[in-house]
Amino acid sequence: MKLLIENNKKINILLFITLMIVFIFLPFFLSGYWIRVFTTIFMYAVIAQGMNIMYGYMGYLPFGNVMFFGIGAYIAAIGMNRGLPFLAVLPLAALTAIFLSILFGIPVLKIRGHYFAIATIGINGAIMGVVQNTTEITGGAMGTTLPIIDKPPAVTYGYFYFAMLALMIIATLLLYLVINSKLGYGIRSIKANEEAANSMGINTIYHKVTAWAISALFVSIAGALYAYWMSFIGPTEVFSTVVAVKVIVIMLIGGAGTILGPIIGSFIVSMLSEVVWSSFLEYHLGVLGIAMIAILFFAPKGIVGTMDDFIKNRGLRLRKKVSV
Amino acid sequence: MSLQILINSILLGGIYALMGIGFSLQWGISGIINLSYGAMVILGAYISLECFNLFQIDPFVSMIISGAILFVIGAIVYRGLLQPLLAGGIIFTLILTFGVRLIVENIILKVWSPNYRNIRPAYIGSTIQVGDTYIPLTKLIVFFIAAVVIYLTYLFMMKTKTGKGIQAVALDKEGAQAVGIDVEKMYLINFAVGTALAGLTGSLWASVYNFSPHLINSITGKVFIVAVLGGLGNIWGAAVGGLFLGIAEAVGLLLFGAEWQEAVGLGIMVGVLIWRPYGLIGQKFFG
Amino acid sequence: MGENNIILTIKSLSKYFGALKAVDGVSFEVKKGEILGLIGPNGAGKTTIANLVTGTFSKTSGSVIFEDTDISNLKSYQIARKGLTRTFQIVEPLKGMSVEENVLVGSLYGRDNRNTNMKNSSKRTREIIKLVGLESKKDFLVSDITINDIKKMEFARVIAMDPKILFLDEVMAGLTAKEVEKTSILIKRILKEKDLTIVFIEHIMKAVMGVSDRIIVLHHGKKISEGTPQEVANSSAVIEAYLGKRYAKEVVNNG
Repeated sequence: MKLLIENNKKINILLFITLMIVFIFLPFFLSGYWIRVFTTIFMYAVIAQGMNIMYGYMGYLPFGNVMFFGIGAYIAAIGMNRGLPFLAVLPLAALTAIFLSILFGIPVLKIRGHYFAIATIGINGAIMGVVQNTTEITGGAMGTTLPIIDKPPAVTYGYFYFAMLALMIIATLLLYLVINSKLGYGIRSIKANEEAANSMGINTIYHKVTAWAISALFVSIAGALYAYWMSFIGPTEVFSTVVAVKVIVIMLIGGAGTILGPIIGSFIVSMLSEVVWSSFLEYHLGVLGIAMIAILFFAPKGIVGTMDDFIKNRGLRLRKKVSV
Repeated sequence: MSLQILINSILLGGIYALMGIGFSLQWGISGIINLSYGAMVILGAYISLECFNLFQIDPFVSMIISGAILFVIGAIVYRGLLQPLLAGGIIFTLILTFGVRLIVENIILKVWSPNYRNIRPAYIGSTIQVGDTYIPLTKLIVFFIAAVVIYLTYLFMMKTKTGKGIQAVALDKEGAQAVGIDVEKMYLINFAVGTALAGLTGSLWASVYNFSPHLINSITGKVFIVAVLGGLGNIWGAAVGGLFLGIAEAVGLLLFGAEWQEAVGLGIMVGVLIWRPYGLIGQKFFG
Repeated sequence: MGENNIILTIKSLSKYFGALKAVDGVSFEVKKGEILGLIGPNGAGKTTIANLVTGTFSKTSGSVIFEDTDISNLKSYQIARKGLTRTFQIVEPLKGMSVEENVLVGSLYGRDNRNTNMKNSSKRTREIIKLVGLESKKDFLVSDITINDIKKMEFARVIAMDPKILFLDEVMAGLTAKEVEKTSILIKRILKEKDLTIVFIEHIMKAVMGVSDRIIVLHHGKKISEGTPQEVANSSAVIEAYLGKRYAKEVVNNG
């Protein structure tokens, strides 16, 4: 099944189109609560695509990538609180995030492995600290509100459902186009063998920074949408380490380095979160922790990999029976 | 900066140093970024809280108990969870240790509530006066204990057979194996020593400061900074890194105000990662 | 282009690793269109020179001039884009990618100013894969093919980069006599077709003698001989380097 999903373009396209059709019609059958759940699934899928291009395709793990989510959220909040319409703050948020990805990327992308991952979480923490302390602009540690949409909740939920869905579709398609382009091959070569890539004429710094800028683009727009959707954001929430870890779990479950992996992973992880949140009120942290650890032991190859193994094993057993 | 502030920051730096060494050893020698480390520190604080409330044991004594309990917990976590999954790399380590953190955090929240607690032994409040400077007695004792424990950790690593075994494994895993060192046992002990130091530091922290699960994030941030500043796996480096952080925070406080400490500390860490990835001291292992 | 059609000039190039002088004041010129053999015993500094020229190592002193430009301080990707590249003695494939994708990357990147895009690069890639005889394995991952096939793939990859000058680093290692001959013919053919210059690093004398126009011999990081294959084969310095002083004297004494 793994081979099927990873190598067969037709199956992937079919799967994608099927999923999208389902998602487009789904809200008409769901309650407001579940519409919100799916909006969150789409949002996390976008954040995970941002991680996917960096880790799945380029081999660099930006543990603190959530920084762009927070930046997107806060630029939206700051802009809208000064009277700008949402459609104006959206590109502003994206451009700010892209600018920062280049500014930080040039020095930080020279670092490899663990150190790079930790440097990014350090930057995330530092930016969160800055936001917490520039209270006049950002509202500080208390958080900030955004203008509330003057429409009935059902309509509002619908708007954000389709906005996040659109973002997810665009991000996924964009990623697909990039990965199969000349730029994409350059990016993938860095994961494959960075030294060899250099010797082949690939300007690796340029490619690394460009990949991070694309990542920042996706994630910051998700953040801006989130802020407008929630009407209230706080620094610890939008620069959260929990979100950072959640995205990594999504990558693991869905499979890094595949186009649809983040979508599948986000679906599974969000559903899991839902179950845990609603079933265990006082123990949800602990149960979540146990669930995360259990995934590593029982499904280390992600959902597709595990199903693949399962199918292979069953096939073997069947064959043995027949020959006896 | 006045002498008072300098002394306060050095005393704080002592705790940071001790805290950071455990984390640095785990990251530097096993390559494990232990996101549950902050939770382990706080757990140590709560263990001392119970020892004090139930049995009136002084935290400077119960720190041994904290250290012992956290040693065992660390050994179990390593043997049961981390060792089997080492092949998974950084992704697995981050998820796993974060999962452990969530579990520990939940236990603490359930048993003790999120409220800030403290331990108030009888001698709290006494100070020693040196000229114009007032040094709180407890903070001074904590600093000296931290210094002693750091030195003992150094002796352990340098002079004991086990410590030398850990060093050997850190420098050349295959070579160590070839001369008959039980590599897995070394990694296990190293990790357990790390969590023991976490627990011990928690007790020391509890004797001078308030504590609650809310602190887990900022403590985790601090040990990252100390480990990076000092160079991974470098005991004296972490010691210097801890002191440096204590002073840097005080300077940050003076220049920018209390809330900027975290950002300043993290900013320094990122700077070191970019320009001196082997830490301020510049050596990779055991100063 | 410099006078006498010199494409590459190496002037007093040195690389010291602490006290170890891997390359010590080596100078030579490479003529456009020639095959220049670079030989010497193991550890003579041949691969180090390739590393220095292509920017993988930074030099200790000296200069490298490629088509009138001093490339001594350029980064390796910049040098590759100017048209100077190499194969690796210890293969460096793009892991996780297929044979075809490896060569495709070479075609897409490589030398500048070729207006490469996905379409024309894919076409060139298929042609080159056919040329080296890897067509049946083009969709295999590099982890699933033999080391000799990886070497062939690397050769295809550098050709796809369309270089002006190419350092081949011990491409003959591990080949049978028949394969050596086939590879030699392929190299000569590509040299003509692609208007290339080749610096041929080998430590087996026989393999390189039949192919090279000129030979340079290195020993302990220094150049000890330069000339046609004939001249070099008869040079006492070379014989001494390969066989030792005692045998050299014997060869000389016995005619």
